[in-house]
Amino acid sequence: MSNEHTVKSYEEELQFLIDSVIKMGSLTESQLIDSMDAVIKVDKDSIDKIIKSDDEINKFRSKIDTQIMTLLVKRAPMAIDLRETISSLKISQDLERIGDLAKSNAKKVKPLPLDLPEELLSNLKRLGELVIKQLSDVLDSYVNKNFDKAKEVWEKDEQVDDLTYIAMESVIDFLSKDKKNLDFSTHLIFATKNLERAGDHITNIAESICYLIKGEYLKGSRPKGKVIQQ
Amino acid sequence: MSDIKIKSKNLNVYYGDKQALFDVNLELNEKEVTALIGPSGCGKSTFIRCINRMNDVIDICKVEGNIEIDGIEVNDKELDVVSLRERVGMVFQKPNPFPKSIYDNISYGPKIHGKGETKSELDEIVERSLKKAALWEEVKDRLNEPGTGLSGGQQQRLCIARAISVNPEVILMDEPCSALDPIATAKIEELIDELKKTYTIVIVTHSMAQAVRVSQKTGFFHLGKLIEVGKTEKIFKNPDNKMTQDYITGRFG
Repeated sequence: MSNEHTVKSYEEELQFLIDSVIKMGSLTESQLIDSMDAVIKVDKDSIDKIIKSDDEINKFRSKIDTQIMTLLVKRAPMAIDLRETISSLKISQDLERIGDLAKSNAKKVKPLPLDLPEELLSNLKRLGELVIKQLSDVLDSYVNKNFDKAKEVWEKDEQVDDLTYIAMESVIDFLSKDKKNLDFSTHLIFATKNLERAGDHITNIAESICYLIKGEYLKGSRPKGKVIQQ
Repeated sequence: MSDIKIKSKNLNVYYGDKQALFDVNLELNEKEVTALIGPSGCGKSTFIRCINRMNDVIDICKVEGNIEIDGIEVNDKELDVVSLRERVGMVFQKPNPFPKSIYDNISYGPKIHGKGETKSELDEIVERSLKKAALWEEVKDRLNEPGTGLSGGQQQRLCIARAISVNPEVILMDEPCSALDPIATAKIEELIDELKKTYTIVIVTHSMAQAVRVSQKTGFFHLGKLIEVGKTEKIFKNPDNKMTQDYITGRFG
């Protein structure tokens, strides 16, 4: 941001809002890492902790909402400040949804057998790593107000789509080998789909950041990977 | 895209040795509201006072460059200033009704411009002007009472009614709401919205929110220069100039 506001408390309120979004982002990132870990290691002990930490993320979201409302009525922000405020609202919504999806994945660990074949999980693991990297990159671009990096994340969602397709295929393949795998395979399919949706929220965040920085929306439609049959 | 009603070209204004406007090039669209914003002393009021030659009354003021209304040069010394001001009405910061009745406040202008010959013609102008200024219902039963007895907001609407009584083409408003409470302000803003269907309006305001609410185009002045002009929505969401952004976001040191 450019010069500081003449009114110091306005400056502080805006910075506090940005800091809150950054903190919420890092909580969401940890949540996604933990839930991915739980799925890959079939670690049933960590489920409760992950569910609990989602409450923290939700609380952050309400706190940010309140801060935004106060800012809007108190300061009637304009130009970059207005975009900063509105982006915080949108980004925090997307972060909350990513947190929900991570929680949902953690819950899917419960019915999984402990002896899942490694090749079944390896594609899911790759997908998870990519989504985590995307989230981490998009948060970096928010902190550093880096347009190019945000746009890169937006473009890279194509890879998330492709990996989702591959991960889905390996689960379906496994399922088709033995019908008794049906129960937990369904959970793995949902977990895969959840990661893909988290990726979509990450691209939303990237779009919000690009708008915040340049004041205009990214042109054209985002590159998309293979479409998964619903 | 609307037609251009007023156009200034390399407009420079001096008060004695002090230059108040520097090469201002600004186009104002017909039947649109243009808001002029900027810190005190930036030249926005000086600019609108050029449009109806109000600066003529200041001895030390010198105006150079062009300002045209419908292609006709306003600064032409041959131009009849009285008829110019008939075409370009003005409303000031503080409501300033004449110390006369409500009726006389409105009928005075048409009378001196020879617009109302008979009493019934004048009656009609008074009613029409007050209705256009959204004041008729509030004052129709007391037209003979002094205009100064009205509330601040009503007085300002009376001044607007007075301005439109001579059927102008342009209305200049120099901070018309700064002395008014929020309700009176809302009524004036509502009125501006209505008036723009008929008139070209230029408003000087210190309230950014007001500029956003009432105008379609906004110009930002600083130290006598027009820094940026553009669609109001663009200026307040994503201005091109850093100085504009610093001003509207409250970062001016």
